[in-house]
Amino acid sequence: MNIIVCVKQIPDPETPSSSFKVDEAAKKVIPAQGIAPVVNPFDPQATEAALRLNEADGGGKVTVISLGAESARDAIKHALAMGADEGVLLNDPSFDGIDNFQTAVALAKAIQKVGEFDLILMGRSAADWDMGVVPSGVGQLLGVPVVSVAKAIEKNGGSVKVERVLDDGFQTVEAPLPAIVSVSNEFGEPRYPQLRQIMLAAKKTVQIWSAADIGLGAEETGAANRWLPLEALYVPKVESNVEIIEGDSPEEKARNLAQKLRAAKLI
Amino acid sequence: MARDFAADIADPIAREIVSNVGTWVDKEVKPQASEFEHADTYPDPLVKGMSDMGLFGIKIPEKYGGLDLSFECYAGVCIELARGWMSLAGIINTHVLVGYAISEYGTEAQKQAYLPRLVEPEIRCALSITEPDAGSDAQAIKTTARRDGDDYVINGQKMWVTNGHKAGVYLVMTKTDPAAEPRHKGITAFLVDHDVPGFIKGKKFEKLGYKGVETTELAFDDARVPATAVLGGKEGSGFQHIMSALEVGRINVSARGVGLAQSAFDDAIRYAQKRQAFGKPIIEHQAQQIRLAEMATKIRAARLLTLDAARKKDSGIRSDLDAGIAKLFSTEICQEVVLDALRIHGGVAYSKELPLERYYRDAPLMIIAEGTSDIQKIVIARSLVKDYPI
Ligand SMILES: Cc1cc2nc3c(=O)[nH]c(=O)nc-3n(C[C@H](O)[C@H](O)[C@H](O)COP(=O)(O)OP(=O)(O)OC[C@H]3O[C@@H](n4cnc5c(N)ncnc54)[C@H](O)[C@@H]3O)c2cc1C
Ligand SMILES: Cc1cc2nc3c(=O)[nH]c(=O)nc-3n(C[C@H](O)[C@H](O)[C@H](O)COP(=O)(O)OP(=O)(O)OC[C@H]3O[C@@H](n4cnc5c(N)ncnc54)[C@H](O)[C@@H]3O)c2cc1C
Repeated sequence: MNIIVCVKQIPDPETPSSSFKVDEAAKKVIPAQGIAPVVNPFDPQATEAALRLNEADGGGKVTVISLGAESARDAIKHALAMGADEGVLLNDPSFDGIDNFQTAVALAKAIQKVGEFDLILMGRSAADWDMGVVPSGVGQLLGVPVVSVAKAIEKNGGSVKVERVLDDGFQTVEAPLPAIVSVSNEFGEPRYPQLRQIMLAAKKTVQIWSAADIGLGAEETGAANRWLPLEALYVPKVESNVEIIEGDSPEEKARNLAQKLRAAKLI
Repeated sequence: MARDFAADIADPIAREIVSNVGTWVDKEVKPQASEFEHADTYPDPLVKGMSDMGLFGIKIPEKYGGLDLSFECYAGVCIELARGWMSLAGIINTHVLVGYAISEYGTEAQKQAYLPRLVEPEIRCALSITEPDAGSDAQAIKTTARRDGDDYVINGQKMWVTNGHKAGVYLVMTKTDPAAEPRHKGITAFLVDHDVPGFIKGKKFEKLGYKGVETTELAFDDARVPATAVLGGKEGSGFQHIMSALEVGRINVSARGVGLAQSAFDDAIRYAQKRQAFGKPIIEHQAQQIRLAEMATKIRAARLLTLDAARKKDSGIRSDLDAGIAKLFSTEICQEVVLDALRIHGGVAYSKELPLERYYRDAPLMIIAEGTSDIQKIVIARSLVKDYPI
């Protein structure tokens, strides 16, 4: 299959809270000093899914696309080192500060420029803004079915059978190809890049496409044209209180705790 | 989150590789190392992870299916492995070292017979020099190999053989001419397959640290090997070949010192920010700042010496001086840094729930194996004297 995998580079989610800062006036996250950005943790799972599907299928091509800063090349290189074939970085000054909907538009245009595809795989959400809307957005724009939060994907002739993770169980659905599937952590561990693949990946060139290269009009990009205007950005204050639940027996303590939780409308 | 440990690697591909191995170490090794270590069980899943990544073929020439990466890359990888668990860098050490000896000094037939099998690896390698009565003075070995027609017959006892049970091929140092003067002229190295009749795998040592990987005795009781098993096909060159290969071993052990010290430091500087004493985090007591600064300085110097020795080896020149200096310094500072990390942790360092006690038991191995610190100093001084003829 021709599979396109979309990967994103994000601030390291392990960044200690003391190093996480936002510029409230500029409504921007200030990159933490000395902490390199990482690949969104769900995305290597999408790459893994692409590689496994093509391995089971006896061949195919995996193209990786990332929209981001110059450093997002590392996220693409990581996918190439896992075994993906080609990489495209969407990089343009006008992408600074765009929202998820504009990202979906840009990705959809880039995917159209790549051309033929059978399947598009993405992570279930990006661990920075955690919105999970890009897969649906791209699906809408390309007019292909979207199956979200996959834990297993199997190719079945001209369709894919996908096991989805729900809050209270699992659901199996089938979608005709081409389709978009977003992959969840339940899919299983992504492979570690082999040394040989890392060496090969270093020789592969990552193409860079600007907004103009993918035919994105000036009105479609730029922070000023966000679909979702950002009103304010701030780090919430976290307050914690400790209360010792009294009681003569474990049962009574549990009862008192349950009452407190109910009173606080937590259960 | 920690600093980018691959940053000092000059070659971008090597840097990428070291960084990937570091990620693997953080995710797979660090969480499990103490458990394997305390049980003294061979870490099969971790060794599989290492071979899946292709680490065992790192120094095998491309012609034989290997990756032929630089010593700089290898040193960086070993630092990272040891940052997770020192034993992992030991499992790969004799493999790479013997692979190097075969690629540099082996006959074409030996290269073809062994090197492709060391990549996956189908078989792993061990190095056997030390005997009950010969360690630092390696030329005092008593194991003999006597020519008998097209064969040699080996007799003797070996000690302290790392990977001694799991290896498929052993590079064994013997005497083919016990009366030779100088003694090294009588020394011959053999490639002995694990299943040769008369080659006996002895007991496994119970060790202070360096657990998980087995270190064993070996015995040769009329073990018969073909003459084609002589490394390089020529009697009397074994000492030279093994000493050259030991430079690779010293780079490995030096890297282990750096990795282990780094790990202890990483734990200490985090703990020092969390732990309060006398009303403030202990890092705010100047005594602790000074201690941490000294630890970091030593590690940095050790890291750069190790990479420098590796780069010298890459350039193809004899690097016994540089490898000796790096190994001496890195392993000695490793002891000091680990002890300082223990001091910073106070009482909890003494508990088996933290890895500090493991670091503390692992550190001394490195000032002994691959040539003790005293022997490094002798090597360094002898080598330097050659630069100052009078
Ligand atoms: C866990 C472990 C794994 C090992 N793995 C291997 C292996 O895979 N293969 C292998 O062949 N060997 C291996 N060894 C052996 C190791 O290389 C030797 O232990 C080491 O070389 C020291 O030799 P020795 O133990 O005989 O000590 P000795 O040589 O008896 O040294 C005792 C002391 O005397 C000092 N000394 C000796 N000569 C001099 C001198 N000329 N001047 C000043 N001081 C001197 C030494 O520095 C040391 O302090 C291993 C050892 C250990 C502990
Ligand atoms: C095996 C074992 C048995 C023990 N038995 C007993 C026992 O029977 N009874 C008992 O009460 N305790 C016992 N202890 C506890 C022991 O006395 C403490 O571990 C020790 O006093 C250190 O305290 P700590 O572990 O809290 O370290 P901390 O006080 O947290 O010290 C951590 C680090 O901070 C440094 N530091 C602290 N303050 C300063 C400062 N002002 N300036 C500069 N550096 C500073 C320390 O030197 C150390 O390096 C035992 C500990 C062990 C390991």
